Amino acid sequence: MLVPIFTLKLNHKINPRMVTVGTFDGVHPCLTAATQAGKVFIHNPHTRGQKPASHRLSQSAQDSDVSLLNINQAVTCLTAGSLGTKTAGDTLLVGSQTNLLAYDVHDNTDIFYKEVSDGANAIVLGKLGDIPNPLAIIGGNCALQGFDSLGNDLFWTVTGDNVRSLVLCDFTGDGKNELLVGSEDFDIRVFKEDELVSEMTENETVTALCHMHSSRFGYALANGTVGVYDRNSRYWRIKSKNHAMSIHAFDLNADGVVELITGWSNGKIDARSDRTGEVIFRDNFSSSVAGVVEGDYRLDGQKQLICASVEGEVRGYLPAEKELKGNLMDSNAEQDLIRELSHRRQNLLLELRNYEENAKGGSDSAGGIPANTQLQTALTVRAATEAQKAHVELSITTPNETIIRAVLIFAEGIFQGESHVVHPSVQNLSGFVRVPIIPPKDIPVDLHIKAFVGGKTSTQFHVFEITRQLPRFSMYDIAVEPSAPAPTGRVTFTINDRPQRVAMWLNQNFLLPEGVDSPDVTFTSLRGGGLLSIRMASNGQVDEFHAVHQRLTAEMAEHSNFIKSMLVQAEDARLMGDMTSMKKRYRELYDLNRDLVSEYKIRSNNHNALLACLKSVNQAIQRAGRLRVGKPKNQVISACRDAIKSNNVSALFRVMRAGVAAS
Amino acid sequence: MEINLNRVDYIQVGVTSQKTMRLLPALGKKTTQKVAVADNDGILTCFGMKKSEAVPVFKTLPGQKISRMDLGGAAGTPQEKIFVCSGSQVRGFTKKGKQFLTFDANLTESINAMHVSGADLFVCASYIYNHYCDCKDQDYFLSGDKINDIVCLSSENLSRPVPVLACQDRVLRVLQGSELAYEVEVPGPPSVLERYNKDGGEDILYGTTDGKIGLIHIGEGSAATKWEIDNDKKKGGILCLDAYDITGDGVRDVLVGRDDGTVTVYSFDSGNEPALRFELALSESVTSIQGGCVGKESYDEILTATYTGWVTGLTTEPQKAEVGAGDEVRMSKEVQSKPIFHRRAELEQLQVKVQLGREQYQQTSLSKTAVSVVPAFSINDKFTLCQDDASYSLTLEVQTAIDNLLLQSDVPIDLLDVDNNSAVVSFSECDSEPNGNFLLATYRCQANTTRLELKVRSIEGQYGTLQAYVTHRLQPKTCQVRQYHIKPLSLHQRTHSIDQDRPMNRLSLVGQFSFAEIHSWVVFCLPEVPEKTPAGESVTFYFLNTFLGTQLHATYSKGEGHFKSDNISTISILSDVLSKEATKRKINLNISYDINDDSVSHTLKMIHPKLEYQLVLARKVQLIDALKELELHEGNADFLIAEYRSILDESASLLEEYKRQPAHLERLYGMITDLFIDKFKFKGQNVKARVSSLLEILDGYDLNSLLDFFREA
Repeated sequence: MLVPIFTLKLNHKINPRMVTVGTFDGVHPCLTAATQAGKVFIHNPHTRGQKPASHRLSQSAQDSDVSLLNINQAVTCLTAGSLGTKTAGDTLLVGSQTNLLAYDVHDNTDIFYKEVSDGANAIVLGKLGDIPNPLAIIGGNCALQGFDSLGNDLFWTVTGDNVRSLVLCDFTGDGKNELLVGSEDFDIRVFKEDELVSEMTENETVTALCHMHSSRFGYALANGTVGVYDRNSRYWRIKSKNHAMSIHAFDLNADGVVELITGWSNGKIDARSDRTGEVIFRDNFSSSVAGVVEGDYRLDGQKQLICASVEGEVRGYLPAEKELKGNLMDSNAEQDLIRELSHRRQNLLLELRNYEENAKGGSDSAGGIPANTQLQTALTVRAATEAQKAHVELSITTPNETIIRAVLIFAEGIFQGESHVVHPSVQNLSGFVRVPIIPPKDIPVDLHIKAFVGGKTSTQFHVFEITRQLPRFSMYDIAVEPSAPAPTGRVTFTINDRPQRVAMWLNQNFLLPEGVDSPDVTFTSLRGGGLLSIRMASNGQVDEFHAVHQRLTAEMAEHSNFIKSMLVQAEDARLMGDMTSMKKRYRELYDLNRDLVSEYKIRSNNHNALLACLKSVNQAIQRAGRLRVGKPKNQVISACRDAIKSNNVSALFRVMRAGVAAS
Repeated sequence: MEINLNRVDYIQVGVTSQKTMRLLPALGKKTTQKVAVADNDGILTCFGMKKSEAVPVFKTLPGQKISRMDLGGAAGTPQEKIFVCSGSQVRGFTKKGKQFLTFDANLTESINAMHVSGADLFVCASYIYNHYCDCKDQDYFLSGDKINDIVCLSSENLSRPVPVLACQDRVLRVLQGSELAYEVEVPGPPSVLERYNKDGGEDILYGTTDGKIGLIHIGEGSAATKWEIDNDKKKGGILCLDAYDITGDGVRDVLVGRDDGTVTVYSFDSGNEPALRFELALSESVTSIQGGCVGKESYDEILTATYTGWVTGLTTEPQKAEVGAGDEVRMSKEVQSKPIFHRRAELEQLQVKVQLGREQYQQTSLSKTAVSVVPAFSINDKFTLCQDDASYSLTLEVQTAIDNLLLQSDVPIDLLDVDNNSAVVSFSECDSEPNGNFLLATYRCQANTTRLELKVRSIEGQYGTLQAYVTHRLQPKTCQVRQYHIKPLSLHQRTHSIDQDRPMNRLSLVGQFSFAEIHSWVVFCLPEVPEKTPAGESVTFYFLNTFLGTQLHATYSKGEGHFKSDNISTISILSDVLSKEATKRKINLNISYDINDDSVSHTLKMIHPKLEYQLVLARKVQLIDALKELELHEGNADFLIAEYRSILDESASLLEEYKRQPAHLERLYGMITDLFIDKFKFKGQNVKARVSSLLEILDGYDLNSLLDFFREA
């Protein structure tokens, strides 16, 4: 049984996911975490009380080992590491919704302080691709930005949605790091510098990523899933009703391979084997885990796994001793094996009893159904009607007089939760059930259907389990209104395949009642109502038209207005300075305070609106990029970036339309 | 001081019922005891341990489900005859497995509790108690509510054996012959009784379904409670008890097995107060528990049997692996690996058989005439009202792993999160219109989950059915439905007496209905009422609202019924439901009310402390974060006024308390609103339009303005 080698009680709350360890003087590791009121605390038990309070740094009154760093803004992410500056120690990087601060704790100086309009939701520090200097890469609203030690942004690109997690790892195995980005549109994207090399679709916001070893990495989702990928393929995943707060790779059982350590929202810590996901160790905190990090906190040359809870409890674990033989839990392996075998024996016996009873013909026919009952399932596209929105309809029927009591569908990413239930009332029971499904995104989904089949009055039902795949483009209807105008935008590309093969692809990826033979088809999108038509010339050219609406101009104009009004408001706020008598001061203070509050509200609304606009600009750029492939794509993105920098709206449009920065 | 016990699994039998495992008496000093265990497949197994391997002594053939087991024997000889009951039959076996007795009790219902003492046999079947001596009928008693357990006391101080029945209506009934001698009130519905001293004595231990235990001294004319242990930690209900000196201090300790899988040991220090000494969570409900010596001589242990049939020992013997020295560990490995080898071989054989079965089953699906019938699997379920937070807890236990659970309800209810439930819950959209669903939720269970616990919060006045569809992981997959009724007055609980001085509202019914009919309506409205129509001309029940503390007094007989409550909403709900039920049966009811206006302000005053407490709590909790930030900013909290400082000091406990009672304030608001509407409903006024102004008053709560509002409106 593995037990913590040290336990600390820091009297400070810790913001979830904002914990790191940095050796700021080059020798002593310090646990550093964001806490309430826009502060960052640094726990340094090694050099007690040597530093005078000055600039940002002040000594905590509650705990002599803790110094506090005043950021004066809500911290959104932080990390520590070497930025390649000349000083010996690590640099602390703190991101907020509007700024990024690089700070030298040892010398108590700011290295740089940058405004970042897209915010910093996640931060990672390290070398990316061929860029020689280590970068501090922050992920904000759809944008990624990398700064070097001087504060120059050497890296900029856009991604599909708000970034929630970042990690650097050698994904392609070429010896250089790629950037993995987890975002709110459920995707994990892999960037080789600013080129998107791979994309994996998950079914919830990707809240955490961590590098395991070589090309293997762990991930966590907002719905309580954690798992491990090796390149594009998922090794394993598990789902819990709690949320994974922090994941970290650490070799806890000393077998030479790192395990995935997960800190959960209910205070649980578990270590899982990177191959199977099997739990090899678990421990419990009394409150939610805030972060899991590692560091040589006892200065004895051994790395410890350090877990911190939101209430400020910190525990450190050493990798297991050899004698434990990887058995970290308080259990007797042999007893477990006997139990497991017995369990299997019992299950087999029960199953055997089921067959034996069945062969006897069953004495009481409660829940008996004809043995040849087989369920029929069908998927069809239904256009919108008065009563119902457009949807894909899944129909399930029994071939005989049996009824379907209830249908459970487990599928990811298309329902509110992970399941959808249809439970007809007793009067409406029949052998036919219709389930409307509206997939929100164009992704292929496996529907795991469980149907409870039996008689009208039975209390026991047979469970039929069927898996159907919903094709990627299921929300497109082949029926087209003849009067609808043809789409104006289009994409042309060449593929070296026969038209029959393209037709096959169409049959597999769209829900077509009869199937098509030729690749010249037109669909109505059930989501937006626009048309999608596909045409293929015999020489292998396919034209794809899609009506896309862009309302950029208006938004761009709005931006400048917002920025202007924000400036004026900021000016107002500065009036707070002059006050004379005591009474007057209080009254004014009160008024000002009230004004400030209301102004703050306005401003935060403005800010939110601004963020939304920026996000849509970034997304528009990304879409513009996605219409091209390879090098032209990167060119579009960087040209867009330049246009935005110079605030040239018309140039931006030109770039999007033509694909090149016009002269 | 805690004791250290190590867990050892011995064997697994079929699903076991409550109190179906016993240790046979040891033959001499320092020897191990044999274990007799009976399961729902009707098999009685007797085994002993030899070299850490279970060696069967005998095993009977399968038959009807065995519901109880007891040991007996002629007075003065070792109590080593095994008696089991299944259906209405009692069978006796010698310790060698020879059947020497088959006795049919000629009851229409099956026996659910049994006690054997010398030539006396005591059996109980739901409401009936029967005493046989040498298989001849002696005494008979009809209880007012379900009998859960029976023990019979005999000692020098008692002139005759005294049978004690544990009845569902929260009393122990002490009998004298066929007559009731007296009743003892206990704090919850008693589920199990055990003699504190098996050799004689007048003390009995009882355990309740809501997790309380106590020791009562039974005299011939009266009883005295010696101690009670409350269920503060909200552990499960008690299923089995035993008194055994496991700590070795010369005083008997109390061993407790609960339906949430917890095994606890209480011992007695000098003060004669029970103190918790040991606690362990097995994953499934503990159906039987006994102290003795099974695994190795001279090491005492606690032997338990669980729902799925595991016989597990918690032994004082240190585990071998902890001894440490290399050689010894290896030796024990050799000894242990033999059973593993056997088990593996057996498994392989079974696998072949199952494969064959699967293929045959597949083949029947081709036939047009064959019918596929899968035998029902056993579900152990419990749906009980928790007094502390006025919510229902639903526990489901299945003999094999649960795959998923679908919950469906046709009344609005809230599902609460339970900490020790690891299943992933997902709520599905409900279309209440055509299908009448108000709740559709699925629980997808982690591997090897055999037990699920959920909490459900109901609203009084909204009644209907909660259905649970349980699917297991075995092939061929089947699922079973269990139905639970959410009654109109779901938050009420039976109690023994009520405060008669409160201002009461009265509801009287007169009409052409029988005693059985009005009883069935009361059963429909209120929990914890026996389904059987009580004997006699009329009956009186007392109830307590677990959430508000208001009370209900129900007296009814043929043709008339009187209900009194200090809560006007209770009366309103009752009158609605009763008139609806009567209309369904086309019975003309003459309903009269006697509304006491004081009762409303009385109820409001009763709610007042609860409401105020909740409001203060909510306000304090709201302040915690801000105060903490101030503290951080200023470095310390000395500048704050004492009130705020105390909030900071108590912040952890405040937060915990706030978390423990989610939506408590909203529920109180809802009840006050109901009270307001109901008060004026009886006056023939509809005040639904004024509810918004009531809510405004509640927002700036003050008792007097609320009382004024109720008076004036």
